[in-house]
Amino acid sequence: MDRSIFMGGIPKTISRRGFLRACAIATAAMGLPMEMVTKVAEAAENPQRPRVVWLHFQECTGCSESLLRASHPDLASLILDLISLDYHETLMAAAGKQAEENLEKAIEKGDYILVVEGGIPLRDGGVYCKIGGRTAVEILKKAAEKAVAIIAIGTCASYGGVQAAKPNPTGAVGVGDIIKNKPVINVPGCPPNPYNFLSTVLYYLTFKKLPPTDKWGRPLFAFGRKIHDHCERRPHFDEGRYVEQFGDQGHRLGFCLYKVGCKGPETYSNCPVIRFNDVEVWPVSVGNGCYGCTEPNFWDTMTPFHKRLPNVKIPGGKGIQASATEIGKTALGVTAAAIAVHAGVGIAKKLATGSKSEE
Amino acid sequence: MAVYEKKYVWSVLLRLFHWAFALSIFTLIVTGLYINWPWTNTWMEGSHQFTMATMRWIHFTAGMIFICAVILRLYLWFFGNKYERLTDFLPINGRNVKNLFSTLLYYAYLTNEHEERAGHNALAGTAYFFTIILAVIQAITGLYLLYPENSFFVSLGSIFGTQQEARFIHHLINWYFAWFILVHLYIVVWNSIRNPEGLVSSIFDGHKFLHKK
Repeated sequence: MDRSIFMGGIPKTISRRGFLRACAIATAAMGLPMEMVTKVAEAAENPQRPRVVWLHFQECTGCSESLLRASHPDLASLILDLISLDYHETLMAAAGKQAEENLEKAIEKGDYILVVEGGIPLRDGGVYCKIGGRTAVEILKKAAEKAVAIIAIGTCASYGGVQAAKPNPTGAVGVGDIIKNKPVINVPGCPPNPYNFLSTVLYYLTFKKLPPTDKWGRPLFAFGRKIHDHCERRPHFDEGRYVEQFGDQGHRLGFCLYKVGCKGPETYSNCPVIRFNDVEVWPVSVGNGCYGCTEPNFWDTMTPFHKRLPNVKIPGGKGIQASATEIGKTALGVTAAAIAVHAGVGIAKKLATGSKSEE
Repeated sequence: MAVYEKKYVWSVLLRLFHWAFALSIFTLIVTGLYINWPWTNTWMEGSHQFTMATMRWIHFTAGMIFICAVILRLYLWFFGNKYERLTDFLPINGRNVKNLFSTLLYYAYLTNEHEERAGHNALAGTAYFFTIILAVIQAITGLYLLYPENSFFVSLGSIFGTQQEARFIHHLINWYFAWFILVHLYIVVWNSIRNPEGLVSSIFDGHKFLHKK
């Protein structure tokens, strides 16, 4: 590995160690082999920083917050230094007319990555979300024209999110429903994991193309497997050890949350592996089931959040250990009965014949 | 012409034990080896495909049957009929010690002398005795592994050390049973071919045939 590549273009605000750690995390999250760290690092430290335009529509800024909360490695400085963030309503210094001018300028220059946060309302001509006098859908269409790639961050930008929940009064949709002629990568989640977003950006910087996605437009490296299949509580599911009610003994012992509504068996995401906020937590690890927030329309399809999913096959019916224990108890009962009958007949025979021979 | 006497030897309970034991140890060996080396894991495992969980469930269920069978045999050691009791086949008296050595010689083709017995010969009986002892160890280590949070099974299983040590013993005995099945089948069939008792059929109908004196 050529050391010099890590010395040159690295921004002063981030240590070499922190930079490499971030690249290694992103490389691992993308499912690339460790040898690729060099390539990712090379791409990331390229002085030709890719320009990013970040638009906010119907959202709570939770996605941006999530990104800012990534502190170890210092993802905020990494993102701000690695990419040239030309427009971001909550992070930029400019305001009002100045801010709108920034957007105009950025769009004119072209060749930027467009990041969209929040759903886009379409009903009544899109009047339910307006910025600087223009509707969200107008701004999006204009910004998308010259973008090289579009990343929809969060469930709202990906599929409409909470405002698209029935009855969807504002007619909110995701970016992919409006922009059809450009590749749109969805990084859903409420909030999405910042590393999945970072990995998508770095994937694009490294390979100059967008990562392969599933049918919902989500990068396979992050959303290729079910939460259930790599959940740390999965052994409890298989064994039949469940939380029956919040606060019960099983809950305190960290058993499986399926029966209190965990949507892990139907949700595709890498939360159990990558976790959140650099303190190794994610909902299930702190005792609350998965809400399925990376799935399209999860507000409609995954509710009620604390009722168990129907049609999920539990191994052995009740879980293998629980069901084997039950079978064992029955078998033990039958054995005891057989022995009792045998002993009873033996004693009765002895009493009847008075003989000592049992043959 | 030789005249044979049909003798009722194996009671219903013993035959029940035998088949429960035989089928459960066969199942346990197959599933146990899978659990030890889950070779289909990379292409079959997934949320709608519980290969490992299913194998473990079969293993545990068969284990329960196995434990019941062992309990039955332990009971019959002391309260079974004349041929089922320990005293009939353990080399603890002159007749059985003599039979133990003559059987060894007979199996090694060193003698043609064969003592016809209604019950086990002393060699088989001794082997079965140790097999049941190993089965008890297998059951204890198995329960220790299955219920790592149950204080009773933990204290019982701790005789064999830590979970890992117990697992190792459990694994070794699994191989013993695989070996036992092969040897047992071979010797039983070999005996049935050479001798008149009818060892194979006796475990189905409980009767053996002896030369009438």
